[in-house]
Amino acid sequence: MSHDVMIDLQQVNKFYRGQKAPVVENMSMTIQQGEIIVLVGPSGCGKTTTMKMINRLIEPSSGRILIDGTDVTALDGNDLRRQIGYVIQQVGLFPHMSVATNVGLVPKMLGWDAKRIEARADELLHLVGLEPAIYRNRLPRQLSGGQQQRVGVARALAADPPVMLMDEPFGATDPMTRDRLQNEFLRLQEQLRKTIVFVTHDFDEAIKMGTRIAVLGERSKIRQFDTPENLLAQPADSTVAQFIGRGARLKQLDLRRVDAITWQDVPLIQLDKPVNGAKRQLDQTEGSSALTVDADNRPLRWVNADDLAARPDALDEAGQTVTTVEPQATLRDALDAMLASRDGAAVVVDEHGRYAGTVTLDGLMQVIHHTPERGEPGSGVPDQRSAVAPAAELTPEQR
Amino acid sequence: MTFLEFLQSRRELLLAQTLEHATIVLMSVALATVIGVLIALWTYRHPRARAVATGMAAAMLTIPSFALLGLLITPLGLGYTPTLVALTMYALLPILRNTIVGLTEIDPALTEAARGIGMGRVRSLATVELPLAWPVILTGIRVSTQMTMGIAAIGAYVQGPGLGHQIFDGLANLGGVNSLNQALVGTVGVIVLALTVDVALALLGKLTQAGQRPKLFRTRPTLRPTLTPATAAPSPSLGGRE
Repeated sequence: MSHDVMIDLQQVNKFYRGQKAPVVENMSMTIQQGEIIVLVGPSGCGKTTTMKMINRLIEPSSGRILIDGTDVTALDGNDLRRQIGYVIQQVGLFPHMSVATNVGLVPKMLGWDAKRIEARADELLHLVGLEPAIYRNRLPRQLSGGQQQRVGVARALAADPPVMLMDEPFGATDPMTRDRLQNEFLRLQEQLRKTIVFVTHDFDEAIKMGTRIAVLGERSKIRQFDTPENLLAQPADSTVAQFIGRGARLKQLDLRRVDAITWQDVPLIQLDKPVNGAKRQLDQTEGSSALTVDADNRPLRWVNADDLAARPDALDEAGQTVTTVEPQATLRDALDAMLASRDGAAVVVDEHGRYAGTVTLDGLMQVIHHTPERGEPGSGVPDQRSAVAPAAELTPEQR
Repeated sequence: MTFLEFLQSRRELLLAQTLEHATIVLMSVALATVIGVLIALWTYRHPRARAVATGMAAAMLTIPSFALLGLLITPLGLGYTPTLVALTMYALLPILRNTIVGLTEIDPALTEAARGIGMGRVRSLATVELPLAWPVILTGIRVSTQMTMGIAAIGAYVQGPGLGHQIFDGLANLGGVNSLNQALVGTVGVIVLALTVDVALALLGKLTQAGQRPKLFRTRPTLRPTLTPATAAPSPSLGGRE
């Protein structure tokens, strides 16, 4: 990640005439290129005002705002806004224009020729997962809420702005759609690496989306500005802690993925084996349980010695069903899978559903009690660690 | 002479007067549209200016047409001009009011989005706000047209153009030969003309409603319609909805 400063707020104030207290008071904040900065705080704390001063939808009363080194308070507001992506909760697609026209508005204002605008609109629709041939000529009202917001994001990206401002962009969608839009947007951001200022009042969304989170209090005062991991592990004061709410530990589980914790191996028993052989194999191993797998190494059931004794004739019906997770799943999902399993373990499978290892509650505990170090923004992102012991090594044939 | 024979015998004169009638109505409505939309654009963001503008237009509408036309003789003389001015004054209120309604009822999220992506005021008005308000403005234009069709007949009182002459002559000679036919032909002519122009304007509405599929036989317009016509045709989905 590059660490060039992209947005620099320097002692920005916003007063309104007739109001004694400023809405935003002495706000200073430095935002690196490629970061998603989430401004989160109670309603009326000035987070939206702060964001809107960056593209000067609201004029700052004093202070400087630099974008990529240029003081934007000196630029023409409309020119500035054409170079900054802007996404709002209500989407704001123009209902009398087709999807493609909506997406092409900013390029048109920038004077691109029609062919280039058309090509760009198609490219962006494709990027946000809407097939251009189907959607480009539709009107906004012919789309679902989630699709509309995708078009909203495409419109904001149209002129490839380095900076995007997003004001509760997924706030008006239902929880399932919101989750999907968030995931899609994070995937998009991995390619685009825009510098994003994201406003929300939903702390869970902040944790999910933010590279860093600024928890704001009254008058947009920064109470804490840190990575989600650090915020959860070490809230700066009781107000922040209160805002994080209950379940900080559980929320931490959302930030980690299964491939970030140590996997354990268990004995595997091929289903086509006679029960006696399986029993012998189970006796030889130290663990109390083994996993039955099919010919492709797909996990089927947990078995222990008692199970085998109870169903000596049918190995495929002995024991308990397994719960599986993929390496990209969050630890929260893994925990859920563990709790559903008799042995407190979830089976990790690869994308083909084949056995890759198991994760246990013990492994989870270890991660939670290891606090990430400060200034380590990538700590929540799984690194490309080598896969844990390939399952093939453990197949009975090789024993 | 029967009514039809009367029509036949005076065909050319009646046709000419009908055309005159339509022309002066359409001219005054066009003038009122320009003036009304401009005043609306100027006032719609300021509640007090808005109230003053609509209040004045409403007051003009209450002046009896006979009186207004008569009073206009002094500064403007007889004939075309006082008729045109009077009709424009009457046509102003529905257009002005509907334009204000149309513009103020636009979802604030849309104007914010327009500003947020870098549209200036003029561009936002031209490409977003006025096109969205247009169906409401057009409804005002239709109401004004209907209204001035009738009032235009009284223009004959100041020697204005149109079918009013038939009505006035007929009523003045009531009991005389063809007098009833004259009054009738004037009245029916105005009605037929009003309906014809209204249908034409309705068609214009279908053709110019941005982003709407043409759908004929909509419900009758009212003075304060909702912004998006409730009859907007739901379009068939091609699948892929969430």
